[in-house]
Amino acid sequence: MTVLFFFLSLLSLVCASLSSPSAPSDYHERLDLQPLPQSSLLASFNFRSNTSQESFEQRHFRYFPRALGQILQHAHTKELHLRFTTGRWDAESWGPRPWNGSKEGGTGVELWAWIDAVDDERAFAKWITLTQSLSGLFCASMNFVDSTRTTRPVVSFDPAEDHSPASSLHLLHGTLPGEVVCTENLTPFLKLLPCKGKAGISSLFDGHKLFDASWQSMSVDVRPICPEQGECLVQIEQTVDMVLDIDRSKRPRDNPIPRPVPNDQLACDASKPYHSDDTCYPLENTLEKGWSLAEVFGRSLNGVCPLTEGNPETVCLRVPNERRVDIPPEVTETRQADGYTRCFALHPSTPFDLSIPEQEVHSQVPLKERSLHAERTIVGHGQERGGMRIIFNNPSETSPVEFIYFETLPWFLRPFVHTLQATITGHDGVRRQVPSSQIVKETFYRPAIDRKRGTQLELTLSVPAASTVTLTYDFEKAILRYTEYPPDANRGFNVAPAVIRLNPQDNESSPIYIRTTSLLLPLPTPDFSMPYNVIILTSTVIALAFGNIFNLLVRRFVSKEEAAALMAQTLKGRLLGKIVALRDRIRGKTSKTE
Amino acid sequence: MSSKPEGLESSNISCNDAPAMSSETVQRPPPPEKPAAILTRTKVIAAFWAVIIFLGFPIWWQTTSIHRARLPIQEMVNWASGKTCRPVFPLEIQFATPSLPVSDAQHLLRTTQHTLDDLNEFSAHHLRLKLLESSNIESNSPDGLRSITEDNADTVLSVRLIAQEDLTAPRSVLHSETTQLDVFYPPSQVPVPSSSNSPLSAFIAEELQRLFGEEKATIAHVLSNNNGADHQPAAVLNSLPPQIAETINKRERRSMKYAETYHLAFSLFTPGSAPSSWDIEAAIQEYLTPLLQAFSPISNFTVDTQVQLYAMFSPMTPQPEYDESQAAWTLKKEDLSAFINAAEWPLSPSIGSGPTINFILYVPAPSQSPMVVKENHATSWIIPQWGGVFLLNAPLSTSQPSNPSHLSKESLQSAFLTFSHQLLTLMGTPATPTSLPLRLQTLIRIRAASLLLSASSTMGSLARLTKSLPSIPIPASVATSVSTTLSHLSSACDQLREGRFAAALASARVAETEAERSFFEKSMVGQVYFPDEHKVAVYLPLLGPIGVPLAVGLLKELKRIIAGWKSRRSSP
Repeated sequence: MTVLFFFLSLLSLVCASLSSPSAPSDYHERLDLQPLPQSSLLASFNFRSNTSQESFEQRHFRYFPRALGQILQHAHTKELHLRFTTGRWDAESWGPRPWNGSKEGGTGVELWAWIDAVDDERAFAKWITLTQSLSGLFCASMNFVDSTRTTRPVVSFDPAEDHSPASSLHLLHGTLPGEVVCTENLTPFLKLLPCKGKAGISSLFDGHKLFDASWQSMSVDVRPICPEQGECLVQIEQTVDMVLDIDRSKRPRDNPIPRPVPNDQLACDASKPYHSDDTCYPLENTLEKGWSLAEVFGRSLNGVCPLTEGNPETVCLRVPNERRVDIPPEVTETRQADGYTRCFALHPSTPFDLSIPEQEVHSQVPLKERSLHAERTIVGHGQERGGMRIIFNNPSETSPVEFIYFETLPWFLRPFVHTLQATITGHDGVRRQVPSSQIVKETFYRPAIDRKRGTQLELTLSVPAASTVTLTYDFEKAILRYTEYPPDANRGFNVAPAVIRLNPQDNESSPIYIRTTSLLLPLPTPDFSMPYNVIILTSTVIALAFGNIFNLLVRRFVSKEEAAALMAQTLKGRLLGKIVALRDRIRGKTSKTE
Repeated sequence: MSSKPEGLESSNISCNDAPAMSSETVQRPPPPEKPAAILTRTKVIAAFWAVIIFLGFPIWWQTTSIHRARLPIQEMVNWASGKTCRPVFPLEIQFATPSLPVSDAQHLLRTTQHTLDDLNEFSAHHLRLKLLESSNIESNSPDGLRSITEDNADTVLSVRLIAQEDLTAPRSVLHSETTQLDVFYPPSQVPVPSSSNSPLSAFIAEELQRLFGEEKATIAHVLSNNNGADHQPAAVLNSLPPQIAETINKRERRSMKYAETYHLAFSLFTPGSAPSSWDIEAAIQEYLTPLLQAFSPISNFTVDTQVQLYAMFSPMTPQPEYDESQAAWTLKKEDLSAFINAAEWPLSPSIGSGPTINFILYVPAPSQSPMVVKENHATSWIIPQWGGVFLLNAPLSTSQPSNPSHLSKESLQSAFLTFSHQLLTLMGTPATPTSLPLRLQTLIRIRAASLLLSASSTMGSLARLTKSLPSIPIPASVATSVSTTLSHLSSACDQLREGRFAAALASARVAETEAERSFFEKSMVGQVYFPDEHKVAVYLPLLGPIGVPLAVGLLKELKRIIAGWKSRRSSP
């Protein structure tokens, strides 16, 4: 019986994860909740809907948003991936990323699309159309994705398999690392959903909570899908992943300032010799914090989106099975055989809330081992030169890890690829300089052109087991023109995060993506009042020189006495004489009275 | 001034030294300057000024001048004031008289033409009758819209005279699908060659006058809006009954600006989750495509549709109220303008050139159904220059009040018939006559006239703009656009005169596009604006110290020359 149940649940899981449904247009949504260490909560929302290729091309939109569909058709875009990300995924404590990193982008906005066009030039024109239109749709500054921020990755991204063979596709990739993602991007994102945040799991979205998260990523993916039988579909998948700090989220909105724990509620270690009324050695809290959806998200889940077909289990929670979870009585709970996952079939029209009371913790959901740890920093000092250091750490004791490292650098950062060096540090802590060819298997490098395009560097790397590889290269900082500096020039310039793609191993089908943090590059910044100073200073110098030369040429030179005589004839001289005479008279009078 | 005297004056120092030291009061002016020194100074100052005038000034002029392409200003102004072209609309009406001898038919036509000309007080819009040779009656297509050729004038209407014995008075039948008018007449009423008037010709003239009455009024309205020299259209307008003038005015306010392509967006909005699908493809195919095809000589259309659930009213708008007497939820007429929740409903205009016309099918929530407009029980209304709304009160299922989840083609019929009607109104189609092809032809003429006038007035505005703002540049592309506009305007005007209205519309369309392009040329508006005060302030440290000695030197020199000149005149 248990075997049968296990088999059935596995089957349903497989069915749910299959992305090729039978109906020509349908809609699915799902929310996965997983408490993470350090009182964090990962909430991962997924919305997926399909429309048939035919009705998409005839512009009859049902679940597919019309605004986006028009843009895609206008820009001849066959596949689109758009990411809005803020914060940093703390891989040290939270483990591997949700969706294997395939649904997140680098900090800011990241966009890549496959565009159908005859040649590169026309593809780029369409790309500009696409970014401009998306910029308007999502209220983001994607119109700043120009040729300097656009690259054409060669091996880092793969198109969907079901593109029509007749189209000649061009992959273009753009990033805006400085973009601040906020509520104005969430509102248009919600408008794309059929249930608009009014019903179903999207009713949990609250801009205040979402953008208060430690890390959050919104994604929109549009791709063609051709099932084995039946007509081709266009699929749109929207996800929102966020890691909420439970303590922070539970604070009421009208009183968000954290307060110290009152004295009488402090758990102190009384065995310490210095323990007294005003001294406390706090004891570690062994209880897991309690939370509920309404507390964490600020609102409760508003039923089910009625368009959802098939599997009614839209909310899943990953906690150990023995953990107590309170749910409303009309909701049915299904536990899956792995001992950690339970899913809830919601009642269509009543609000849903689940709460986990504060309780003693004996076990945690095991986090999967990370396969690679990557870190990228700018090193060096001074205004002229600097260096990049990328550290890859392979935690596996046995197998080497092979991956593709892709970075785009702005044109004003000029790397010297010949200085690319690799150092290996094993477990023994000994650093060994190795020729970079031993680490770097393949290189694709497209140098920058000033003000035209950025550097594109794609490396195929291999890191041996249980070792750390450090790659370094030097770069030079360009001096920009006066008008090229942004208003906040002294803040530094954003360098887009690098994308790392771990090639799928035998048992996995999709590659794992990791992104490094974005970097800030300080450039030599001029004093912006300089042009006026220069104009005024040069003007003064020229005027001085001119005045002297001109006077030398046109003035007549006479002796001092002659000058005095000449002076006496002029009006000024006569006036001066009178003043002197007046003064003398007054002086004379005063001397008489004395 | 240099403290170390040298050169010419050095010899004076030695002899002046001693007396100056002995007594301060004794001062001797220096000897007069040598003419050579004065000449040198004059030459130096002249050289400086020569450099300034012949080198500095031209360079400054060259580098700061703006490129202004030459525009035919006078011609543009003439177009705008209506001096160049007076649009005329000669409508050609073909007569087929299979049962009359040619001479009788010609006589009938002549008398009818006479009567028509007597009735017509608006010379720009007149009807020309033409007898169709009996040989090519059969070959002539009845559909006037299709018979557009390059050389011949468009046939507006074909009249077929049919004798019928049992009639006492003539009567006419207008085919609603074609541009054909059948006139049945008793054979006795055929005018005898001697008479100059007959009841039949009077009847035909009156009938034609009635058919084109609204068109004439509309064209007079369009022409009178142009502040031209021609006062006739205004006079025609004033002679009309006020309600007709009001109708024309209202239609013009409602209709969209003319464009080559319109995007039609059909949206299904509902505040709940049902209905979530509709038979839109079939409905458009059946109810709308024929109309759009009929419009194809005038404009093109793209169609896109969407379904939007959970579309709530804006919290600012007054909510519908339940009216006991009507047993319905009612919207007040004055609140209809706020019905569309523009902030939340995704009604973004379509991408691509051309305006978007929105048609909204709103299915009220079961708790608010049926929903009607309070004052007149209407379920649809037009939003001028934007689109139309239709409230579809879907039949509720009896057991549980909920909307059907799918709207069939049949349930969409009334909505789409309303939308077709709204589309006609939004396009500015006149309400009469009953034949749709005739109305569309009228629309072609109205559009051609209004495009011609609007392009002309744009030309006038551009001419005024370039005259009033001498600091804006005029790039060569503007000049090209202007000349294209003017040539197309004149060809449109000629084509109107020849009665080729479809061709005139095409020319006027090009003229309008080019006129707009030239008027809204981006480079004519400076992106960076440096006021003159700004430049002066920046360069004052240079101009001040250089300019003052130069100017003073010049003044002194002039003074000296004038003084010398005066003394020379007075001395001899």
